[in-house]
This record gives sequence, structure tokens and C-alpha cells, in this order.
Amino acid sequence: MLKSTRIAFAGAVMAGTMAIGAAQAQDDLTVGLAVANLQADFFNQIKQSVEKEGDKLGVEIITVDAGGDSARQVSQIQDLITRDVDAIIYIPAGATAASVPVKAAREAGIPVVAVDRNPPDAPGDTFIATDSVAAAETLGNWVCKQTGGKGRLAEIQGQIGTTPQIDRDEGFDKALANCAGIERVAQQASNMWMQDEGFNIAQAMIQRDPGITVFWGQADALALGAAQAAKVGNLGDVIVVGFDGDVAGLEAVKSGTLDATMTQQTQLMGRMALASAIKLANGEEVPAEQLQEATLTTADNVEPFLKEHP
Amino acid sequence: MTTEAASTTPERSSRPFRLAFDGGVLGPLVGLVLLCVGFSFASEYFLSVRNAINILDQVTVLGILAIGMTLVIIIGGIDLSVGSVLAFSMMMMGWLYQFGGVPLPIAMVLGILTGAACGLVSGCLITFAKLPAFIATLAIMSIARGLANILTDGRQVVGYPDWFTNLATVRHFGFLSVTVALFIVLMVIAGIFLRYRATGRNLFAIGGSAEVARLAGIDVRKYTLVTYTIAGALAGVAAVTLAARLNSSQPSAGLGIELDTIAAVVIGGASLVGGVGSIAGTLIGVLIIGVLRNGLNLVGVSPFFQMVVIGAVIALAVAFDTMSRNKN
Repeated sequence: MLKSTRIAFAGAVMAGTMAIGAAQAQDDLTVGLAVANLQADFFNQIKQSVEKEGDKLGVEIITVDAGGDSARQVSQIQDLITRDVDAIIYIPAGATAASVPVKAAREAGIPVVAVDRNPPDAPGDTFIATDSVAAAETLGNWVCKQTGGKGRLAEIQGQIGTTPQIDRDEGFDKALANCAGIERVAQQASNMWMQDEGFNIAQAMIQRDPGITVFWGQADALALGAAQAAKVGNLGDVIVVGFDGDVAGLEAVKSGTLDATMTQQTQLMGRMALASAIKLANGEEVPAEQLQEATLTTADNVEPFLKEHP
Repeated sequence: MTTEAASTTPERSSRPFRLAFDGGVLGPLVGLVLLCVGFSFASEYFLSVRNAINILDQVTVLGILAIGMTLVIIIGGIDLSVGSVLAFSMMMMGWLYQFGGVPLPIAMVLGILTGAACGLVSGCLITFAKLPAFIATLAIMSIARGLANILTDGRQVVGYPDWFTNLATVRHFGFLSVTVALFIVLMVIAGIFLRYRATGRNLFAIGGSAEVARLAGIDVRKYTLVTYTIAGALAGVAAVTLAARLNSSQPSAGLGIELDTIAAVVIGGASLVGGVGSIAGTLIGVLIIGVLRNGLNLVGVSPFFQMVVIGAVIALAVAFDTMSRNKN
């Protein structure tokens, strides 16, 4: 009996792994896609774009998801290198630890396309991202105009030390510098850019200062959490703005839950990332930085983005 | 790596009816071998020395944590705090080095001592305040994670010297990095301790029945304190290896790794009730998790599907182990 259960287990495991193996395609070009965290819609959008484009071009895409854990991401990049991919599209998880995978890939002679965040001490062969500083400044100016230059601002930052967090702070601060009537009364960072964090942080902020008139969440999820907290706290007339323009964010802009967001061109970034990866794999030159614009999105212009994400 | 598992002979358990040559590790070992065979067929990249070393490298942190967890689970306890304690130790080391002007080797030792201190506090909560281990370590999990963030206000520490990162990246003799060597040495020491030392065997007695152990003259309180302290210190060691691997210290490190650690120990044949477990089994459990993650990546399985597969394999492995045990 003992033996038979083990053999059964053996069979189950074997069958499982073999079935997976059979599904594997054998194309000429293989690109590894290392995503920071697929639970965040922004990254998931880029992933879907890369995979769709890969299908179209006949390039095999191998996707791995670090779930926000940079240690796991190092392992995954190791696996992609072992897998002998021709190029790696790399969306770093965590903040500054991000250089280790790039160095490892470089040692193995595999080109790296960094997306959204770029390791400062070992940048990717090319870097594709939104010009977050400029976009956040645009958003800050809009907030200033919308409030008539007066208000009490509460800010929910992204994960401290990440490029997007630093850049969005910088851009928004630039706008605030020209808008003296807006007073920043609260500022707190989140760990995972997640909606429930945004909710909890905003709720505590409201508890401390019920006079808040503007919430600025550095990601749509954070802003959505803040909007919910404002609703629960009966804050009435507050302006809530986010960043990213992911699907949930755009829906919220349409319904009025969010007042504005900056829509990043995730589909375009996914396509560009793969195009750059293919070029680099073929030994062609690619510019070191390819920064994209983000579009200020309000209820007035949200409709087309919902139909087709840029 | 499988030869390593075989050479540390299976643990003698407190249950007398178990087969001597089996000791509970044969089931997981068969599972591990089958996984390896399956992946070798599924991916041409799996079966290579380089990939085997990669896997060892990838499971080092998990493996070091799992040694401590094995001891804790053998005495019938649980330690949910290891991931947070790892982060706290890591941040303490980084903070002392970067902002306190402490030389790195001393900061490393202090980081490990930080982990040990956390473990000691857990142990005190369990033995003196009589908290259930689950609650005591849950509290420490939250406290340590908070402290890890407080030290630098949630920021990462970077700027370690090259020799430090090289501990994890330079492979001596072409295959052995210092951190992997450390992992293997710790495994061997723990295996010998548990199997051949009276103090090691006392842990099984405590897990079998703390009351009987106490009546037999074993100082259960002291053993509990020391066990949790060692588990904490090992979390500190894991923190140093992870910092070397990542070339930075991050307050978010090790989020949720306690669950992987517990899973590895249980896959390796340990019982959450206590009194059963072995280092050899834990090593196999750790390798099963490592091989699964690595293999699924090499084959190119979608990340969402990977979660399903990993969960299913954990359930299968433990279910078959339990079933074969019951029939025994």
C-alpha cells in the first residue's frame, strides 16, 4: 500500500511536469519578462501588452512575477539567464536593490531593458518609463488651478526610495512651489502601492485633520483608497487625484470618484519594451532613455482611454 | 544536492514504530527526485551543474531560516516572526554600518545578535507570560517589522563594500559561494546536533510531551528559550546572507517568508503537533520548494499558474506523506 501511494504521487508529479513541458513553444527569439508585482494593475497592463505583442511577432515571452519581493526577483532573473533568453525586460521590484539582476545579466551577455524603474548604479541598456517628474508637475498645476490655489493637501506616497515615488514627489513639489495657498498637512508613504493601504493611511489622516480638502495618491490604487476613506469619513467636497491611469483608476475618473489621474501609456511601453529587447538582442543600438509622456485625464477626456488603453 | 540529503541520515523520531531507514524522509525524497526527473525532461536547461548551484544559491536564505523553524516545530512550537526578524536584523546591520559608523564585520555580528534578542523575547513571552507560541511570535512579527521600518523611516540601506556582496556572488572553486557554504555547514551542524547530542534528542521529548519531558528532568523552559533564541539568531544569519545577495538592506525583506519556511519544514516530514521532524527532511523540503520555483521558471509557466502548481504540490506532498505514515 505504502509503495502504491508513492508511485501514484510519482505519476502525478511526472505527468504534471511533462504536460507543462509539452506546452513549451520553440521559437527563435526568447525574451524574459521579469515583473515586479502582477497584483498591481499597472504592471499587469505592461505584461499583457508585452505578451500580446510577443504573440504577434512570434517571440516567445517567459514571464516571471516577483510579487514585490526583490530577493525572489534575483532568483527569477538567474533562472531566465539559465534559460538562456536573448534579452530580459526588467521591471524592478523594491527600490534600490535592483542593480544585482542587471549585473548578473550583463555578465552573462544578455541585454536588459529596464521599465518603470532604473537601477542607478547599474542602469539597463535602455530605460523605458513615463516622465514622472513632468507628469506629476502637470497634475500639481491642475490641482492648484482647480482649487483656486487654496487648500489643505494630504499626500499618500508610494514605496519610499523607488524611482516613481521620488520623481512624483519632485514633480508635485515643483507645482506646489508656485501655489503657496496649498498647505501640505499630511504626508505618509505606503509599502506596496495598494488600495487597502491607501484607505487606512487616509483614514488616519482624516482622523487627525478633518479639514483636508485635497488627496494626492501617488498611484490610482492609493487614491482610490483615499477616496473611499473620504467617503466613509463624510468629508464631502474633496478633490482626489491619482497617478497611472490603470483601468480601475480610469473607471473611477469616469464615475467621479477620482477627479483626475495621469494616464501612463502602458500598452505603448509594453510594445516599446519588446521592440527594444528585440533590437538589443540583434545587436542594434537603442537610446539609453526613452521617456514617455503621461496624459492628464479627467472626466472630460477619459472615455477614449477606457475604450482602448494607450 | 540529493547526495547531501542522503548523507545526513534521517532523524530518529520519538515514535518507536517508524522504520529506521525511512524516518519520514523517503517520501519527500522520492518527490524531490521525481520533480527533478520531470523538469529534466520538460526543460533542456534544468539538468546542469550550473543550475543546481543556482538552486542552492536561491534556497540559502529559506534554508537557513528553515533550520531554526525545524527546531521550533520539533518542540511543538511555531515561529511566525522569522521574516520580520530577518528584516529587522538586516536593517539593524545596515543602519549601524551606514549611519552608526560601525565597521561592517561588527555590524554583521550585531545584526545576528539582534535576531537572537528577538528570539529570546519570543521565548520569554512563551515561557514566562504563557502566551501561545502562535500569538507570541505573531506579536514579535509585527513589532520587528515596525522596528525594521523605524530605523531608516522605511528607506533602504545601500552602499555595502564589494567584499560583502562577493560573499554571495563569487563562486569559489567555480561553484561554492561563501553563503552557500555557510548554509551547508549550518545544515550539517544542526543535523548532527539533533541526531547525536542528548540535548538535541531532548527537543523531541519536549515536543512529544512537555509535561513528560519535565517530569523526566528536562528543563523545558530553558530549552524553549534557547530554541527560540537560536531560531532568531538564524534569522539574523539569513538576514546577513540576504543583504549580501541583494547588495542592500530592505525593511520589506522576507515578507511572508515564514509561511514558505513552515511549508518547507512540513513537506520535509515534520509534524506541527511537535515531536517529529528532521534536518534531512527539512533540507529536502527546502529543495522541493526551490526546485519547483526554478523549474517552473525555466519551463516558462505563467506566474499565476505557478502559484496553483506550488500550492498543489505542497498539498500533495504532505497528503501522501501523512497517508503513508498512517498506513505504516
